[in-house]
Amino acid sequence: MEFCESTFLYTLSLPDSIMPKPGDTVKITTAKETFEGILMPRPDLLTPGITVIKLNSGYNLGIESKKITSVDVIEPYAAKTPVKTASAQDPRLPTVAVISTGGTIVSKIDYYSGAVSADYTAEDFIEMCPELKGIANIRAKKIMGIMSEDMDFSVYEQLAAAIADELKTADGIVVTQGTDTMHFTTAAMSFALQHLNKPVIFTAAQRSIDRGSSDAFMNLICAVHAAAKFKVGMVATCMHGDSEDDACILIRGTKVRKMHTSRRDAFRPMNENPLAKIWPDGKIEHLNTQYAKSHEKPLELKNQFEPKVALVLVYPGMDPGSIEYFVKKGFKGIVLAATALGHVPTFNPQSSLMQVLDKAAKKKIPVVIASQTLYGAVHPFVYTNLRKLSVERKCIFVHDMLPEVAYIKLAWVLARAQEYAVIKHMMQTSIAGEISERHQPGEFLI
Amino acid sequence: MNYKKLGFRCGLEIHQQLDGKKLFCRCPALNSANDPDISVRRRLRAVVGETGEIDKAAAYETARAREFLYVSHSEDTCLVEYDEQPPFPINEELLDVALQVALLMHCKIVDEVQVMRKTVVDGSNVSGFQRTALIAYDGWIETSKGKVGIQSICLEEEAAQKLEETKTTVSYKLDRLGIGLLEIATHTDIVDPEHAKEAAGVIGMILRSTEKVKRGLGTIRQDVNISIEGGNRTEVKGFQDLRAMPKVIDYEIQRQQKLVGEKKKIEKEVRKAEPDFTTSFLRPLPGAARMYPETDVLPVRITKERIAKIKVPELISEKTMKLGEEFGIQEALAQEIVKQKIDLKQWTQKYPKLEPAQIASVLIEIPKEMKSRLKIDPEPLKEKDFHEVLGALNEGKITKEAIIDILSARAQNKAVNLDQYKPVDASDIEAEIEKIIKEKPGLTIGAYMGMLMAKYRGKIDGQKLMELLKKRVK
Repeated sequence: MEFCESTFLYTLSLPDSIMPKPGDTVKITTAKETFEGILMPRPDLLTPGITVIKLNSGYNLGIESKKITSVDVIEPYAAKTPVKTASAQDPRLPTVAVISTGGTIVSKIDYYSGAVSADYTAEDFIEMCPELKGIANIRAKKIMGIMSEDMDFSVYEQLAAAIADELKTADGIVVTQGTDTMHFTTAAMSFALQHLNKPVIFTAAQRSIDRGSSDAFMNLICAVHAAAKFKVGMVATCMHGDSEDDACILIRGTKVRKMHTSRRDAFRPMNENPLAKIWPDGKIEHLNTQYAKSHEKPLELKNQFEPKVALVLVYPGMDPGSIEYFVKKGFKGIVLAATALGHVPTFNPQSSLMQVLDKAAKKKIPVVIASQTLYGAVHPFVYTNLRKLSVERKCIFVHDMLPEVAYIKLAWVLARAQEYAVIKHMMQTSIAGEISERHQPGEFLI
Repeated sequence: MNYKKLGFRCGLEIHQQLDGKKLFCRCPALNSANDPDISVRRRLRAVVGETGEIDKAAAYETARAREFLYVSHSEDTCLVEYDEQPPFPINEELLDVALQVALLMHCKIVDEVQVMRKTVVDGSNVSGFQRTALIAYDGWIETSKGKVGIQSICLEEEAAQKLEETKTTVSYKLDRLGIGLLEIATHTDIVDPEHAKEAAGVIGMILRSTEKVKRGLGTIRQDVNISIEGGNRTEVKGFQDLRAMPKVIDYEIQRQQKLVGEKKKIEKEVRKAEPDFTTSFLRPLPGAARMYPETDVLPVRITKERIAKIKVPELISEKTMKLGEEFGIQEALAQEIVKQKIDLKQWTQKYPKLEPAQIASVLIEIPKEMKSRLKIDPEPLKEKDFHEVLGALNEGKITKEAIIDILSARAQNKAVNLDQYKPVDASDIEAEIEKIIKEKPGLTIGAYMGMLMAKYRGKIDGQKLMELLKKRVK
């Protein structure tokens, strides 16, 4: 959150040198009373005209700025410089690199000044979770500080390069980021980091770390355990398995989705079982062995993406013009999150997508069909209308691939293939476990 | 005891649950008695950088060692209590109640309410903090020993109720968590232990006057801060009964006096009021509470317009006094009428031939007598049952002695014929007296009385019957 200096600036005309600053201990006088406390910053978005001070009792109090006749600084704010002691390395332990990109899990606020600390070191993580010291030698690297909703393909390129770089010397990687689009990032990394032979574990927090109940602690501990000793060459998420602080689950980076706005266990495995359950004491229970243990070929960084790709939700009564926009704008590929088995409107002239899909085919823009039901697979042939898409308009049906994964993958494929047949082949071939051809009854709603 | 000479300093902290919906979610404030159908295990940690190094280490160890088991019933808990969903905006109705109380206690009201998070690591708040906001400050209440200053009125979330504690696990029931709680802190203007009880009573009365507070065991809690010269501040909590307060305070003064006499250091601590009026150590008094802003809830401006719209309710004490004056009824009866929210005026208008005191007595005292003397539960009685007897009494169709019999029958769902309780004429009784004397001459007056009562019970006042009998039998 951005903070402005303080709102009473608008109502007081004091010289800068004596203008009180957030964090200063002040005496505020109004016509009727006086208040003593620490001047607090006020978020820009809130109604102006209120000055906030923290009283001795700890309570904040809002005073209408226009009532204030004077503000005297009793004691100016003195920022404390945190003392950071480098922690000793244990040669017997594996090395885990923790790469942070921003988000709730690494936000640290100075509640007196409102400033957000931007300097995360390994010691900060260890201070947060002293247990980490016994699991691995931690090496921390902050490569950016952005919210997950602001991530894009250039961020994915940068992140993949940073991971590849750290992998040269680390035994495993933990990446922390904001939760909202974490499943897009894990998909991007699953494709960008080819032939992984070490674990790349993503973790995050649904509750901020200022509260004792934050899920960040257990998530981070389990993620470091996984990075240190889960012997796989793949990208996976490590988050709460249920609402309890008992264990985390590891989910394949291409089969994971955030399925709840706020719960700790929002990240769920889609169309397959979680890979493993992992406890904060380091115990691992394998639940799904369908993954690459490690690759023989050396790691290959393929971190280019074609950003001109669209992901469009299909819905009743939609205007075909919304797809036409992308066709006209020169987009290189479109993913349709179609209904269930892969349907789109075909009959009503106002909403039928047939004409616009013809135009896309003519312009050789690949159109990929994934399902908005998220669970289950699309099918190119079971109904006539599906054949109109698959056979007549050459739409690419991608089985049980999640729409978000299909979007990331198409961007990745288009950065390395132009020919329709190659694109189709790559899209329909599982590269990082994004397509599973065998589904068990127990893989639904877990 | 000369409390002034002792350097007696005493202030109160009253916590009162509010009715309606919870403060930051839309669950009803029920204190559900149902068996839990949800349970979740969690852990808490001391949060980085929040306290000094030593505190942090200590708190970290305590928090790490224990697991918290949270249980509740789904009828009055949701994802918000389980810290799985952000809070809703503050419940504006409860904020209005806080403003009502602030006005009744002559407080200054903040221009903008800032919701804070108060760090709590004992597990009683699932999130690890309690949401609390300062609403008003610097007020006063009137007592027989002068004004008692009100330091602050805060609106906060009620904590969860502890069920069980072992070395490894503490279990809590969450039904209580998040219920709106008014915290009223007085200045140390209390002059003696009796005064503490009185002031607590006045605050309770003011709170009940809003008609928006929860009632029943545990819905209001009084904490007393006590110190004497040479002693230190102790906070005594857990009074089961307000009447025990003066004695508990006296005992605590004596405990502190003894320690002062022995030149022992008195620790700042929280102590529990025991049933034998002594107190026992509960925990050290927390230092300045660690508070920081609750960024998920927007601050609320309290405009002059909003305050002007707040209806200030009439105090129960004022209502009782008025009722007593208007209808000539005793204070205890008037208090009950107010408590049970009975519109006595309406009843007196409906039954004009009856005395208001008689109506009040039928409505309040007869059910009590049924319960205490006849062991009949008056609960099943409906308003129409009272209208039936008072209507009949108003028209002279029954005697007032019949009322308890008729209501008892109604409460037990037994058939009752009102004609049976028709008042009898004095002439009829006199004829009956003549008849029984003739039939059984020479008996004692008591024996005749017994025979007559058997026949006329509920139809005539016993005293009147005796008067008539005495005319004939010496």
